Amino acid sequence: MASTLDRLIDQVRENRIWRSIFRSGTGESNLHRSLFVQQNVFLHLFSVKARKRTLEFSATWYLGALTFGTFLILVITGVLLMLYYHPSVPQAYVDMKDLQFVVSSGVFLRNLHRWSAHAMVFLVFAHMFKVFYRGAYRPPREFNWVIGVVLLLMTLLLSYTGYLLPWDQLAFWAVTVGSNIASAVPVMGGKMRFLMLGGTAVNANALLRFYVLHCVILPFAAILFIAIHFWRIRKDGGIYPGESAAEGDAK
Amino acid sequence: MRNKLHALWRTFFGDSARAFGSASVILLLLLAIAPAKNHFSQWRHYQKQYLHLIRGRADAVTLERHFQGGIQQIWMPEQQVTDRCTTCHLGLKEASLADVSSVAFREHPVIPHKLTEFGCTTCHRGQGAATTVEEAHSATEQWEQPLLPAKYIEAGCGQCHLENQTGTPFLNQGRQLISNSGCTHCHTIKQADGTYIMPDDDPPSLKHIADKTTRDWVYAWIKDPQAYASTATMPNYHFSDDDARDVSAFILAQSTPLQPPLQPPLQPLKADAKAAADPAAGTTLYGQSFCASCHAMQNAAGMMVGGNVGPELTGIGTKAKPEWLQDWVANPNHYDPATMMPHYRFDAQQVATLTGFLESKTEPDFVANVHLDGATPQQIEHGKRLVVENGCASCHEINGIKKPENFAPELSRIGSKPLNQLIFVEGVEHTLPGYVAGKVRNPRAFGPSLKMPQFKFTPQQIDAVTTALLALTDRAQSQPPTMRIASVQQTKYQPAGNAGQLMRDLRCLTCHMIDGHGGDMAPDLTWEGTAVQHEWLTQFLKNPETLRPALIRRMPKFNLTDAEINTLADYMMTVYQTPEFDRDSLPVSQFGTAQVEQGRQLFYSKFACQSCHIADYKTDKGYIGPALAGTGKRFNAAWVYRWLKDPQALRPGTIEPNQHMTDDEARSLTAFLMSLKSGGAQEAMKK
Repeated sequence: MASTLDRLIDQVRENRIWRSIFRSGTGESNLHRSLFVQQNVFLHLFSVKARKRTLEFSATWYLGALTFGTFLILVITGVLLMLYYHPSVPQAYVDMKDLQFVVSSGVFLRNLHRWSAHAMVFLVFAHMFKVFYRGAYRPPREFNWVIGVVLLLMTLLLSYTGYLLPWDQLAFWAVTVGSNIASAVPVMGGKMRFLMLGGTAVNANALLRFYVLHCVILPFAAILFIAIHFWRIRKDGGIYPGESAAEGDAK
Repeated sequence: MRNKLHALWRTFFGDSARAFGSASVILLLLLAIAPAKNHFSQWRHYQKQYLHLIRGRADAVTLERHFQGGIQQIWMPEQQVTDRCTTCHLGLKEASLADVSSVAFREHPVIPHKLTEFGCTTCHRGQGAATTVEEAHSATEQWEQPLLPAKYIEAGCGQCHLENQTGTPFLNQGRQLISNSGCTHCHTIKQADGTYIMPDDDPPSLKHIADKTTRDWVYAWIKDPQAYASTATMPNYHFSDDDARDVSAFILAQSTPLQPPLQPPLQPLKADAKAAADPAAGTTLYGQSFCASCHAMQNAAGMMVGGNVGPELTGIGTKAKPEWLQDWVANPNHYDPATMMPHYRFDAQQVATLTGFLESKTEPDFVANVHLDGATPQQIEHGKRLVVENGCASCHEINGIKKPENFAPELSRIGSKPLNQLIFVEGVEHTLPGYVAGKVRNPRAFGPSLKMPQFKFTPQQIDAVTTALLALTDRAQSQPPTMRIASVQQTKYQPAGNAGQLMRDLRCLTCHMIDGHGGDMAPDLTWEGTAVQHEWLTQFLKNPETLRPALIRRMPKFNLTDAEINTLADYMMTVYQTPEFDRDSLPVSQFGTAQVEQGRQLFYSKFACQSCHIADYKTDKGYIGPALAGTGKRFNAAWVYRWLKDPQALRPGTIEPNQHMTDDEARSLTAFLMSLKSGGAQEAMKK
């Protein structure tokens, strides 16, 4: 049975359409494998080879990958939620009620988005602690650490902008307090608050602004920086293998 | 055991392929929870129950045809209504389900509105969008407005119906209480149509209070107003003895003497031989002047007799000083130019008689235990502070203190007040109706430092006031103006000229209504000039007699001079005319005797008018409507004719039925009625 399955897979892989998409073709050789990675738009960000040590659980606790996993869940559930949501004052909260009461699995969708967001923030911090305590931020990976810090900010901003969208009391006051904190900045505080809210109070303009930030600007910026982050792992010599292994490299 | 577990672990998670497979299956199962929850939802359960119920009934086929599965909703975006109540409440429109024991499926009681045009939450509140029992009906973490308890349901009507409705007695009573108790002296209530609920309790000015009463009385009054008169509107401020002492000291101290000053009582007249010979003269005059139409008094049996337009007079002799009473009876305008009481034009003898009678109505117990020493300046100063703090000037005019603005919180949207903005205390139900009712019942229970005084309401009145307050919602304010049935605007109407001056002095509008302004105790005078003859009006003003056999009450006699009567009659005959027709358009001369006879037939046989009216005092007994024996002297034929054709057109709301007479019938009947020229009832009885 196994051989039938293998044959079937081989047939598909040898198919012209398949070959036009994945040009490397089949083969167990290192060349084939490296070509497969290099010629894939997603995978080519990563290095073709990785140290076995860096793939072990203890090396990273898979925290970076898990963070990216939650990000993917957030994108998918977020897009689905956008189908039911109007960023307008009279409609926004009503849409929450519709999600709760009439959209099939609407509560599940919202909860998945919400808990994934919480998980992502937690995982980003855990990832950074792990990197910090292992010393993986040190040269030559210092730039990627900076990118990581930018991604932390992105994550927090995504969380914050998303908080306003349900347009309930919690949201309204959180953003009121947040924007007032911004206005405490010397000299340009008031201007910052105005820019943030698109006005002087948390209202329709603020809702629209936060919606655009949450659904367009910040996610695209995050994707860009995630791409750079992944690409820099390869450029900086792969995942940090640990002190002893790194010394071994130097020798 | 351990081995077994170990074996099990190896079977499912032994190597990476098995672990991946097992984990995937577990994840799939977990993901299946969401659609499963969706499928076993509460509303589906109710729809199944409903189907089960109707299938057992005789009209199952019809009911099943009406049934629509899935989530149902009434959606009216401009009224912000998205009500999914009908998802579970499936039998609301099914008349045959009126007897069903389960409330969920019972027919909605008959109301004048279509459910599909008004939705459910408009009146009942609750969360319309919800599809679970808990969320739809109760206050939950995300929803503060639960279903309105059934006893307050008329609050729903009051959101659109700003005027009184026959179907909402409770709401009407509550609104009446709010204005009669003077709530809006302190609390602003702006209605959705932009009008304000105006207070209607007429609190007296205190600027000359020392001329009227004593400090002892003021002290006892502010300690407990209802102890003096059970009908008193003034609420109880629960002043301590010391505070009441100081407030009374200040109230008396701020008073200035009336200008011109009060005259000493006319002692000689009081001891007049005639008055002494007839001790009942006072009672008679009190009765003849129809004082009881407006004022109540407790009779010997302890029953309250009289109207509630003016204050209760049971203990007036204890309250008012004799010289003030005399001045007031002679001309109330002197003390209070804004009073509703007419200027009766009593002669000196009558003034003395009535003053003596009223002075004898005492309640000595009321002030028996009051022993006040002279007021010190500190007490007066402290009294003034208390008067300012308690907002006394919100209701009463007081020298040196301005009426405070917005003394108490505005109540225009109290019916939608979020619970998180309210402070509850022990014993008050944690709901908005509970809070409002609690505040009305016992305001000081919410904190001894609160200023709102204690009103004397019965539990039923508390619920009525609560109903009226709960009608003041955000929805009422924000819904489209087309939904609103506006309140009747009470504007000031002032008749003009000398006659107007006279009408104000006589306070005609306290009882009569003219063009929608005034009281409802006496007939509407809007078109009186078209209706009646000058001669009759003059006679009537000279000596008013009752026009309705069933009524003892009649218009009081005002001792008017001939010149005054002429002024009034001329004015009314000229001004109060309908634009619809000319009062002289149907001259009596054109009626022949045959027509009169035909009219008599119609009166007695076809329309049987004698069941309610009297055409001839000797034979007829009808007493529902006014006596018509003097129609020929009183009315104009054109008016009678028009009245017969369509009474409601001339006086909306009259109980006279429209008989849909032909022109000929109406003409003949008019001819007959205009031939009736006998005098009034008394005159007829004498004969």
